[in-house]
Amino acid sequence: MKELQNKVKQLLNDKEVDLVIGWAKGSLPLVSTPVFITEAEQAEELIFDHTCRNNLATYLTKDRKRLGKKYNKIGIIVKGCDARSIVLYVTENQVKRDKVVIIGVPCQGIFESRKIINCTNGREVLEQKIAGDQVILIGRDFEIKVSREEVLRDCCLSCRYPDAPEYDHFIGEHRGEINVKDEFKIVEDFEKKSAAERWQLITEEYSKCIRCYACRNVCPSCYCNYCFVDNNDPQWIGKTPEVTDNIIFHLIRNLHLAGRCVDCGACVSACPVNLDLRPLNKKVEKEMKERFGYTAGLDINEKPAMASHCENEKQDFIMG
Amino acid sequence: MIKIKYEQLSALIDFLTESYQVYAPVKHGKETAFKKISSASEINKSKYNTSLNPKDIFFPQSEVMFTYTKNGIKSPPEQGKPIAVWGLRTCDTKSIRMLDKVFANAYQMPDKEMYKDPYWIARYKNCLLFSFACNEPPSTCFCNWFNSGPYDSSDSDIFVTDTGDEYLLEGISERGIKFLAGYPETSQADQTDLDKIKVLREKAESYMPPVVELSGLKDKLLKIWDDPVWDELSAKCINCGACAYICPTCHCFDMRDEGNEDKGKRVRLWDCCMYQLFTKEASGHNPRELSTYRVRQRVMHKYNYFVENYQQFLCTGCGRCIKVCPVNMDIRQIIQKILTYKEV
Amino acid sequence: MSNTYIPIPMKLERIINEDPDRTLRTFDLSFVNKQDEEKFSYMPGQFCEFSILGKGESPFGIASSPSEKGLLKFTVSRTGSVTQEIHYLQEGDIVGIRGPLGNWYPDEKLRGKDTVIIGGGFAFTTLRSMIVYMLDHRQEYGKITVIYGARSPEFFIFKDELKEWEARADITLHLTIDKPYPGWDKLIGFVPTVTKEVGLDPSAYVIVCGPPIMIKYTLPVLSEIGFEDSKIFTSLERRMKCGIGKCGRCGIGSKYICIDGPVFSLEELKKIPESF
Ligand SMILES: Cc1cc2nc3c(=O)[nH]c(=O)nc-3n(C[C@H](O)[C@H](O)[C@H](O)COP(=O)(O)OP(=O)(O)OC[C@H]3O[C@@H](n4cnc5c(N)ncnc54)[C@H](O)[C@@H]3O)c2cc1C
Ligand code: SF4
Ligand code: SF4
Ligand code: SF4
Ligand code: SF4
Ligand code: FES
Repeated sequence: MKELQNKVKQLLNDKEVDLVIGWAKGSLPLVSTPVFITEAEQAEELIFDHTCRNNLATYLTKDRKRLGKKYNKIGIIVKGCDARSIVLYVTENQVKRDKVVIIGVPCQGIFESRKIINCTNGREVLEQKIAGDQVILIGRDFEIKVSREEVLRDCCLSCRYPDAPEYDHFIGEHRGEINVKDEFKIVEDFEKKSAAERWQLITEEYSKCIRCYACRNVCPSCYCNYCFVDNNDPQWIGKTPEVTDNIIFHLIRNLHLAGRCVDCGACVSACPVNLDLRPLNKKVEKEMKERFGYTAGLDINEKPAMASHCENEKQDFIMG
Repeated sequence: MIKIKYEQLSALIDFLTESYQVYAPVKHGKETAFKKISSASEINKSKYNTSLNPKDIFFPQSEVMFTYTKNGIKSPPEQGKPIAVWGLRTCDTKSIRMLDKVFANAYQMPDKEMYKDPYWIARYKNCLLFSFACNEPPSTCFCNWFNSGPYDSSDSDIFVTDTGDEYLLEGISERGIKFLAGYPETSQADQTDLDKIKVLREKAESYMPPVVELSGLKDKLLKIWDDPVWDELSAKCINCGACAYICPTCHCFDMRDEGNEDKGKRVRLWDCCMYQLFTKEASGHNPRELSTYRVRQRVMHKYNYFVENYQQFLCTGCGRCIKVCPVNMDIRQIIQKILTYKEV
Repeated sequence: MSNTYIPIPMKLERIINEDPDRTLRTFDLSFVNKQDEEKFSYMPGQFCEFSILGKGESPFGIASSPSEKGLLKFTVSRTGSVTQEIHYLQEGDIVGIRGPLGNWYPDEKLRGKDTVIIGGGFAFTTLRSMIVYMLDHRQEYGKITVIYGARSPEFFIFKDELKEWEARADITLHLTIDKPYPGWDKLIGFVPTVTKEVGLDPSAYVIVCGPPIMIKYTLPVLSEIGFEDSKIFTSLERRMKCGIGKCGRCGIGSKYICIDGPVFSLEELKKIPESF
């Protein structure tokens, strides 16, 4: 932590950056919060731990890239997935590489509040402590020990690249590529089901969607000025949260994210009704990987997937 | 004050369903929400308020305003029985009363037919609201900042205390008193019950955060509404809108047509001021182009504009927005920062 | 209880193309049901939600005057999806409207007083309503002065009426266009400049309506001439849906344009956050 703070102080003092985006302690026990640091003293607020779930790259494209207009050079602290979003931005010409200073931190995985709440049977956690491979969850009248694995986000459990593939500074030890065996397990499990079962699963999950579009709005890859759901001329999909329209919304979004989703989990954490949006994202990711050998955000010199491979599409995509 | 044992709840719900459409907290996917129930077994008992808000009962997330065909326009079917809601919290009840102010009239033009929202009124008319004392408010609750608290019974029709094995029901409004008078179960609460309430109440209140004095908030907001501090206050918001969708008092909506010229419907859907398109005009001009302006709108509306029009905050301190915000924009911190901010 | 969201049916009687680009059309509507007509009483400055089933609603200022019985007039600029659909309409089609909505120009204050009316572009709609209304009750008002600016002569709306008014002695009309144009012998220059030059008497009431940029530059000129803030009125626009103060869309400060406006005095606006 100290090393990270010192690095940021130095970058600000040396005027190498005008702003640093990082995480600070949040107001609730299980969450951190993004901070925007322009003065070296503020760097003391910076943290990096299992609560730093936000993909900070999002801020680079937010509000028509307002930060980029305000600050000449922006430092940004990144986990593996956040860094891959930046790589994606660079390959899609959204961000100029020389305008960002990427500060990598070694990510050990982020906890998911929903899973923690499940462990406590819904009771509120007021404090959590890490003890080796265990997490101690403390509430008003309980103290529960669970294993880290149990509360890590799904996307972290199957994360292959916890380190930033592209960075200017790296604080701490690299973790290297992780040999996750069942990266696409949820997809494979899903594929094994019959078409009817798949449909049922999808309908059940997506019937709960309230169509607030929080998932889209937090998604670093969803930066279109005009999203297809907002278009009313022609109107692509119905606006009411009926299950068929919900599914269409999510499927189109998935397709727009083909080769662009970095599996950072931002959409899952943002959804106010806690839908599991990952299986479909992951399905698309798997297809991209198997068909084109492509994983989003790994190589800064690669052309964006959708621009380079347009043919060779198989028809049996999502439901087939 | 009458009392009923846990086992007698199903009799109460059955009795209610005879003359009401009954809503209560149920499990809804991974969340808890108010849904129509037909028996007590569906109810999800929890110490906390539901994760989804109760406004959906009276102001559904999407509703058909009318359908049309070549032959003309048809209003939606009548509501039928009035609505009773079991398992509300004090803050939930208050939020419903706030929304009633908005939908029943226009603030400066009471009793003008054209400003009455027929869909809201059809559902709200003769409703019976059971609000529960909160015995264990979670750390995100701050209703005590708004002259309320976990045992505030005002605004309820019937106030319910769950003592661990029985429910104590107290009629508050005329409608609530009348309902209880007509209810066959008549065992009255005695001194031991009142003592129990006292203990529970003290415990519940001890969980609340220190009260922050909000009397200066409205004027302070007006003073700083044009101040650069909003840039800082809004920096981390990503305008996802989750806070407004989860908020029991936010009431903005969109109206859309679905169908073609021969046949279709006009629907209304929740909407929110956090979205860029909310105010974007056909010309391309957008008075709230920047995220900063949108965050300011939310804060101003809740703690200044609404107060100006209705003399109360458009916030109950339920804490739902604090729980859902993906970037931990904590409205309590924003309020406190504003109160202590020295304007430039 | 009647349902305020249900549009009343109107028959499209007449369509008038107002400009060579065909982006501006005026629509004269008549009431399909007599009872609707009887209930519909409005004042100049109010607006309606114009509804095309299957496409949606859009708000437009009423361009007809209450003194023109049995008729509602709207001039619609084609800008987006609903307005485009309105432009596709044919005479004889049935459409829906909700209204009258919002407040109106301060007619009570104008009685017996001089009035200056300043307009720009196609935002002249409700101003036409006001002028026709005043001319139809001519003896109840003082001097009427109109300043109206357009890009070029073709872009004035209600051209025939403008000619009639020019011929009348009881109303003074200053028409101006942005740049010289072959055959144009009237004023040339932007509205704020013309406003400064025509010699207005600051004891009058002023109504200004036009594109935001015109309003922005005209208001200071009026103050400079000496008009009091409480005597300057303008009509605002924001995106709208419900038109009755519920949906939250048209908020400026604690006000909603659809019910507290669209007409505001400059004095009021100066107290409202977000109004400019
Ligand atoms: C009080 C008032 C009076 C108006 N009077 C006139 C008039 O006389 N003539 C005229 O041509 N235009 C007028 N407008 C502007 C007109 O309402 C918009 O141009 C129109 O709504 C654009 O709709 P659209 O569907 O074509 O555009 P889209 O961009 O497709 O808009 C979709 C929806 O957004 C809303 N919307 C978008 N822009 C506006 C806007 N500027 N104002 C209000 N709602 C908007 C509408 O509900 C519309 O249906 C007035 C606006 C207001 C508020
Ligand atoms: S965030 Fe959740 S509820 Fe909102 S649109 Fe996305 S999936 Fe639906
Ligand atoms: S939930 Fe948080 S990030 Fe989303 S709009 Fe609300 S304040 Fe902004
Ligand atoms: S603003 Fe937040 S705390 Fe206040 S009522 Fe809405 S959700 Fe609850
Ligand atoms: S805070 Fe925003 S979304 Fe909520 S009621 Fe106010 S304007 Fe509407
Ligand atoms: S248009 Fe809905 S509040 Fe004004």
